[in-house]
Amino acid sequence: MNKYALFLGCTTPVKVPQYELASRWVCGYFGIELIDIEEFTCCGINQVNLSIEAGLLMAAMNLALAEAKELDILTLCAACTGALAEAIERLKDKVTRDSVNETLRKVDLEYKGNVRVRHISRVLYEDIGIEKIKKEVKRDLSGFRVAPHYGCHYLKPKSAFEGFEEPDNPKTLHQLIVAAGANPIGYETFNLCCGGKVSPVSSDLALLLIERKLDDLADKEIDAMVLQCQTCYLMYSDQQKEINETYGKEYNLPVLLYPQLLGLALGANPVKELGLDLHRISPDKILVKVG
Amino acid sequence: MDEAKKTFEFKKPVSTSKLDPNFKSEVLSHSGAQGLNACFSCGTCSAGCPIHEVFPDYSPKKLAKMVRLGMKKEVLSSPYIWYCATCRNCVERCPQNVRFFSILNVLKNMAAKEGYAPAAWVEQAKQVIKTGIVFASEDSWVKKREELSLPSLKEHEEKIRKIIEQTGIDKIKPRVDSE
Repeated sequence: MNKYALFLGCTTPVKVPQYELASRWVCGYFGIELIDIEEFTCCGINQVNLSIEAGLLMAAMNLALAEAKELDILTLCAACTGALAEAIERLKDKVTRDSVNETLRKVDLEYKGNVRVRHISRVLYEDIGIEKIKKEVKRDLSGFRVAPHYGCHYLKPKSAFEGFEEPDNPKTLHQLIVAAGANPIGYETFNLCCGGKVSPVSSDLALLLIERKLDDLADKEIDAMVLQCQTCYLMYSDQQKEINETYGKEYNLPVLLYPQLLGLALGANPVKELGLDLHRISPDKILVKVG
Repeated sequence: MDEAKKTFEFKKPVSTSKLDPNFKSEVLSHSGAQGLNACFSCGTCSAGCPIHEVFPDYSPKKLAKMVRLGMKKEVLSSPYIWYCATCRNCVERCPQNVRFFSILNVLKNMAAKEGYAPAAWVEQAKQVIKTGIVFASEDSWVKKREELSLPSLKEHEEKIRKIIEQTGIDKIKPRVDSE
């Protein structure tokens, strides 16, 4: 069954719609049917700061909404992926589940424990597969050097992802980039957190983290960063101007979401179908390269 | 950060008369924090912490120790407990399965109840109760989605409000010194 409830999260649909656009296009290409559930809300990840219980209830509510439609969830945001997967892990405990369900009944919902949550990259990796993706490539991206960035919550906690990845030595995004015909580089800070979740409390700390990675990438002669979470995207892309002003740098590194790179390889229209014109750092050079 | 540094000085000697001997058990009574007993201060958490790397005063190892010592007021009022980037390296790499990140969430929840929550998180919780997501709707987003032929978004806050108000999250007040 290649049918999923699409969990957009809070940020992608309003701030990074190009990620949603490209993801819908790529899923359509491979026959992955995406169902929109209008009642989906915030996954609850940030509410955990103030109330662990509130965060868990919000995640459980979203899981129950998908479960009621007998659908597994496909996510775009790494953080939503982590929050929902962790909730599934916690809700395996019957006492916790019963207590959560007591509250969910107030809104006529119940979570039984029959939902899987996977990120779009994981679905592409597991359901479509590297070989099938390779066979579908229509546009030559072999001249592309890109820096992969996984996103912490795509990998951790490992226990919530059935051992899908080794958090300190992940491989799926590298392989997916290779499948699209581009060249992922290795670099020292590739596993460094984007700081997105500390940014609302201390933008200074977040900028320090972003600067570390951008500085590391400065001499790597890459065409773009490729990542798979809109929060990481906003940090590395939209904060470059802030970094340049704060640290006196001149970064101008395009940042792409993986479905955009894959869409390019599959022959999609870069503007209409992938939204490459919507980036703050213009990927014009990339567009010239793909012709 | 500089402001936080002033209000949270690690280098002062610890006065035993000011310690709260019950703090550790109070923290341990929350299911997420039970790993604390297994912590032997090896420092793997701090060594792998990206925030510690750029701002050494933030140290998971130190915070765990302060909890064990009973430094309740210092810990709960500290701006530092909100500096975690949630990357989970501390959870993945701890040889004792302490799950510092979970302990920190317990500490943040306790601090929030005592009036130390950063305004950013209090505002976000309020927003979620209003619109179901962490943002207020803006016309430019609605228009952009129409242009891209993406489905329109509907606000569904009613269910969320009903289920999370009982946790008291809507009653939490922001800390006074936060911006």
